[in-house]
Amino acid sequence: MSALLELEDVRCGYGPTSVLHGVSLAVPEGGIVSLLGANGAGKTTTLRAITGGLRWLGEIRFAGRSLRRMHTEDIVGVGIAHVPEGRGILTELTVDENLKLGAHRRKDGATAVRKDYDRVFEYFPVLRERRNLSASTLSGGEQQMLAIARAMLMQPRLMLLDEPSLGLAPLVVRSIFEIIRTFNQADHVAVLLVEQNARLALEMSTDAYVLEVGRVAVKGASAELKGNESVRRSYLGY
Amino acid sequence: MLQRIRTAPPRYWLVVVVVLFFAGFPTVISSFQAGQWALALILAIAIMGLNILVGYSGQLSLGHGAFMAFGAYASAILAHRYKMDYLVTIPIAGLLTGMVGFLFGVPALRLSALYLALATFALAVVMPSLIKRPVGLTGGVQGISLPPVVVPQLAKDGFTMLTGSAMTSDQWVYYVTFAYALVLFWLAWNLVRHRAGRAMRAIRDGEVAAAASGINISGYKTLAFGISALYAGIAGSLLGLATGYISPDTFPVSLSIQLLVGAVVGGLASIPGPLLGGIFAYFLPIESNQWVPTQTWIPSQIVATVVKAGPAVTYGVVLILLMIFAPNGIVGLATAGYNRLRRRLRGAADRESGHIPPDPQTV
Amino acid sequence: MQEFLQQIVSGIASGGIFASLALALVLIYNAMGLVNFAQGEMAMLATFIAFTLVDHGVSYWIAFPVTLVVAFAGGILVQRIVIRPVERAPILTLVIVTLGLATLVNGVAGFIFGYVPRSFPSPFSAQTVNLLGAFVSYRDLGVIGVSTVVLLLIYLLLQRTTIGLTMRAAAHHPEASRLLGVHVSWMLALGWGLASAVGAVSGIMVAPILLLEPNMMQTIIIYAFAAAVLGGIESPLGAVVGGLIVGVTVNLAGAYIPFVGGDLQLAVALAIIITVLVIKPNGLFGRPSVRRV
Repeated sequence: MSALLELEDVRCGYGPTSVLHGVSLAVPEGGIVSLLGANGAGKTTTLRAITGGLRWLGEIRFAGRSLRRMHTEDIVGVGIAHVPEGRGILTELTVDENLKLGAHRRKDGATAVRKDYDRVFEYFPVLRERRNLSASTLSGGEQQMLAIARAMLMQPRLMLLDEPSLGLAPLVVRSIFEIIRTFNQADHVAVLLVEQNARLALEMSTDAYVLEVGRVAVKGASAELKGNESVRRSYLGY
Repeated sequence: MLQRIRTAPPRYWLVVVVVLFFAGFPTVISSFQAGQWALALILAIAIMGLNILVGYSGQLSLGHGAFMAFGAYASAILAHRYKMDYLVTIPIAGLLTGMVGFLFGVPALRLSALYLALATFALAVVMPSLIKRPVGLTGGVQGISLPPVVVPQLAKDGFTMLTGSAMTSDQWVYYVTFAYALVLFWLAWNLVRHRAGRAMRAIRDGEVAAAASGINISGYKTLAFGISALYAGIAGSLLGLATGYISPDTFPVSLSIQLLVGAVVGGLASIPGPLLGGIFAYFLPIESNQWVPTQTWIPSQIVATVVKAGPAVTYGVVLILLMIFAPNGIVGLATAGYNRLRRRLRGAADRESGHIPPDPQTV
Repeated sequence: MQEFLQQIVSGIASGGIFASLALALVLIYNAMGLVNFAQGEMAMLATFIAFTLVDHGVSYWIAFPVTLVVAFAGGILVQRIVIRPVERAPILTLVIVTLGLATLVNGVAGFIFGYVPRSFPSPFSAQTVNLLGAFVSYRDLGVIGVSTVVLLLIYLLLQRTTIGLTMRAAAHHPEASRLLGVHVSWMLALGWGLASAVGAVSGIMVAPILLLEPNMMQTIIIYAFAAAVLGGIESPLGAVVGGLIVGVTVNLAGAYIPFVGGDLQLAVALAIIITVLVIKPNGLFGRPSVRRV
């Protein structure tokens, strides 16, 4: 069975400096895959390449279709929701407007969208309370919730999450990760998770890749990597 | 000495050729044409001022015509009311305008590039109505007629000795302008090569980094404004000398735009750029206006419109196309072409020696 | 007192005109951080289109919306052809391009329509009506009415529709918006179209007062600059309030300060621009901006 998302020997960089030197990875339909590695290993760059944030060589396929030369807004349209580094909250707009933007390109009718709204508010009740406030008034954790809720409303087949735990209290992180897992199981949405917090990510995911200076250094089932002492020491730092 | 001449880089020779050309050629063209070239050089001086401000210090002024107006009126008032010799008033007008520009530069410090553009543009639009107000001083709408230009005996004699013909006032004005252009371009060249110029460019390329390396940002930015206005003031003053009459309508907004066109066409942040820009900005509307009426197939009514609207259309198109395709102007194009040629020549040499130039980055 | 009231009402009428053009400036500023120096000239060209239609016997109230549609399309075209190639260029380049556009449009209008001032029809009569003791012309009231409707429509479009939402999103956070599937580049084009249409309203409103000729908007754009700067250049509400304040101030200064009179009203606008920029660069409604490094 072919995977939902496939990267084959992807190379790219910023201007003259190249960051990825040939990354290959696959995310199966409905699976959770974590992408680990130190700062500067190329995790964020990988995600940006997938959603067309920079040009790349090699091949990236989503649901069997090449994403070459596609614009970000169209890539997003075929079912990839990308919660970027820094969460990408539109702080000039209200919470509700942010959510609306998530759903604005859906074509399955107002009723379906409203149902998803209710579900999202069930996951994150605080967003319902803050609906009409400016998104800039939210705390860091709430902004992360908003970003994920907005991505859920896009009704994606794949979610790219860039360090959802960054700067958040451990308890908040736990609950966010729980919700992501619930969502993944309920909607069969695949997740590609970039994380610094390797322990947490390995608990969540079925498969994992470890990047080191732009290359995949280790890959395997998450449970296996978790149990492998030497991998843990040399790459994951715990 | 001889050694130094022999080792001088080729561009020094180019400068010598250009200077000799401009010094010599009024003797072979008509007096009227010399007058035209004087006006082109006047524009070139003002454009050099603008270039120092925009190209080297990174502050955008869309109102340099207003500074020209100030210089012109300063000279005219000194000559007309206080009966000063016009030639004496030129440097005074330059210094006065420079001071005004320096003062204008102080509030300008607080403005972003965009706001500065907006404020100076507004100044250029409002300037004519500001000039009209103090009627006693500026002559209001009527403007000021200046006393006719008198060619000094010494210049007359010298010119006759060299060329055998009598010097006209237009030719005299040309040489005065030429002298100012020579000095001011030389000063600009020195300015940008030395400390102040380096500081200005550093500020243009990034204020934070410039401040971090100890450059006095506000000092150099206002200095650039002052020097730039000084150039415009002298140009304005020379314009009065050349035309013999100034009024608020001598300095419309389109003059400021003409200066900007010249600066951009020639190439910002270059020394020869303003010269080319001045020639272009002056002769383009004139040439197109002379060419169109000679075309008998165009109905006369359309000719009249073209003569009036033509320069605006051309300026507009030139500005847009240059910004899209050649933001560094003629000088930028020439330099790029020269470098490419040299690289190609050198690339060929490398191939002979068996050394392969590195692959260009593929991403 | 009566005359004072009249001056205020006619100041509000001019203010509505300035506000429309200022709003056009704000729309483009929000979309790409740029002041469009060609906004006034584009409005002037649109007014000439309205004039041509009316001149050919088309009813005013048909010519008006048709012109707005043409202006809208023209704005989009300008963004696609002229602005897009330099979208990422430094602000200096962008400003010079819009200035070139202003010069070009001015020249083209002169080329096609000539420089003879033409009288432009107003659908409102010049008669006056007694309003709370002040004699106010129907024309002023009409201008106020039309401006209000247009500004309200723009408000509703931006705040209450999905397309308005995506336009605001694209303006504030282009990168994040792209990830939400917003076609940012088209939103910019839409912004230009909208700005062009709103600006056209100001041109059509001011033409009966000033007489229509290619340089008609040269002074109006300065008042609009003053209005936009006063309101805080990124705030649509600020543009409206700024427009009204500038309109009333300039009118009162012209009427009651002998030194200003008719011919230095423009200088009042310049004074407003410089004062606001130096003392309170964010204007009345602008948020304090973080200085970009």
